[in-house]
Amino acid sequence: MIHLQNITKVYRTKTIETTALNNIDLDVPKGQFLSIMGPSGCGKSTLLNIIGLLDEPSNGMIKVDGKQITNYTSRATAKFRNEKLGFIFQSFHLIPDLNVIDNVELPLLYRSISSKKRKQMAAEALESVGLANRKHHFPSQLSGGQKQRVAIARAIVGKPEIILADEPTGNLDSVMGDEVMEILNKLNKDFGTTIIMVTHDERMAKKTDRLVRLYDGTQVA
Amino acid sequence: MIAHILKLIWNKRGSNALMILEIFLSFLVLFAVLAYVFFNLEKLNTPIGFETKDKWMISLDNIYGLDSLEANQTMANLKQSLEDEDQIQSVSFGNWAVPFSGSTSSNGTDLNGFKMWSLLIDADLGLKETLNLNITHGRWFEEDDYNAAIPSVIVNSAFMDKFYPNKSMIDSTFLFDDPQRIVGVIDHYRYLGQFEEDKPCIISLVDYKKNQDHAIISMAANTPASYEEKLAALIKVVTKGDGSIIQNLEKRRINNSRQHWLMLGSLIFVCGFLCLNVAMGLFGVLWYNINKRKAEIGLRQALGAHGIDITKQFILEIIILTGVALAIGIFFAIQIPLLDVTEFEDALYYKSILYSSLIILSLVFICALFPSIQAAKITPANSLHED
Repeated sequence: MIHLQNITKVYRTKTIETTALNNIDLDVPKGQFLSIMGPSGCGKSTLLNIIGLLDEPSNGMIKVDGKQITNYTSRATAKFRNEKLGFIFQSFHLIPDLNVIDNVELPLLYRSISSKKRKQMAAEALESVGLANRKHHFPSQLSGGQKQRVAIARAIVGKPEIILADEPTGNLDSVMGDEVMEILNKLNKDFGTTIIMVTHDERMAKKTDRLVRLYDGTQVA
Repeated sequence: MIAHILKLIWNKRGSNALMILEIFLSFLVLFAVLAYVFFNLEKLNTPIGFETKDKWMISLDNIYGLDSLEANQTMANLKQSLEDEDQIQSVSFGNWAVPFSGSTSSNGTDLNGFKMWSLLIDADLGLKETLNLNITHGRWFEEDDYNAAIPSVIVNSAFMDKFYPNKSMIDSTFLFDDPQRIVGVIDHYRYLGQFEEDKPCIISLVDYKKNQDHAIISMAANTPASYEEKLAALIKVVTKGDGSIIQNLEKRRINNSRQHWLMLGSLIFVCGFLCLNVAMGLFGVLWYNINKRKAEIGLRQALGAHGIDITKQFILEIIILTGVALAIGIFFAIQIPLLDVTEFEDALYYKSILYSSLIILSLVFICALFPSIQAAKITPANSLHED
């Protein structure tokens, strides 16, 4: 489903050139739950950002379902992110001025969906992460685990084929982390959602189908 | 999207209140200045009703010092001497209430509950020709009017509009303390200056010999300024006094307007400065807000927002805030015409409200445009890590 070929990312300043990713080749089949591990600064998040079209590779090509997505226009890129991808971040990235249900329906705002339908879809997504009773709470009124579950609901509300999770359990204690992993595994198993997760936690990585290790921007396993 | 933005605005009402207050106060100041400017521009667009080009004014000296018989004779001699001059086309004598003098004479009555107030002008038969006054109804004074049983008067159109709208009062008598008969209507006679209101005015016929303060003379076109010296010598000989002053009416008109222009210019400058400050303040606040919301911008992009969606959102947010501030401002501003707080025309206030709103909206839009476009250029990969 996802095909990465010779992905290289180089950050250049006037004096320094830093290679964040060096010739990464990776194939992720549909429905796989893949975890990416490696020490800090090895390029895990950079790789995830490039797959999610949040950043551009310096070199290389990405294909999703056989279509090259690296040469998409900005409009097509936005549409691709909206319809095909769901993002989960370590720091949740909930908008503090919106309540839970409004946060969850955010991706649907950029589709032609009626307000009523949006609310219904957001409520269903919240139900699936067990937060139906918290939809009118504000992020400041939730625990870390609940916030991450809201973020998961937001990631799945548009029914994306791929979920990109950047250390989703990084800010959670082990119990809450396990809860989040359980939800992600359920999504993967029940809906066949392809998940790519960056993690530092070996225990969480072991719960996924496949583990890729990066070291200094190079794939080592 | 609008409902989403309204929700965001409402949930941040505490911080948005300050911005609404700033825009609201700016609107009120702009509204007040524009109302004043429009009020003055309207006066400028209204004709003063008489000509000033090639008109001179003589402030007479020494006449009051003479006994009445001698004074009458001096005035008759002066009139004759002036009319004999080839350069002088017509002469009129008046009291102190002459164009641009700043002096006024007025009176008011309240007979049977009918309140009237008017400026009063003393004129002789020559005033119409000298200042080229425009009669719209009836006629100018005639010799017979000196002997009329009921004194003949001429009024201006402002008098008619205020006290007898849509009526013809020619040859009708009205009570203004004493009975007076209107024989003619002139369109305007704003002798106090271009920036003065067109107030009701009654012109009464007075024998020129009794108007010993000023003379207004209509000069032949292109009369050189050097003629003033010859004229001064002539007046000195006739009046046996050397304190008379000759002034050009056109120059007096310009001088009279100068302080109003200065005031108007200063207000417009201050208002422009205020707008610039408001614009800079808004620009700074919007720039700061957008920088504070970089993570949100990155998130929205990650969730599928295009750059245009981001720009649109920030511009809509500030336009809605401005709309709220303007609605509050208009609510207060509109009370002035609705409650008839002043005597100015209502249309003037509505025009000021419209223009102030448009200026504020344009200003806000321009100030929001650049930061909003910049916000759309933020790369999500970087902004998502700024929290």
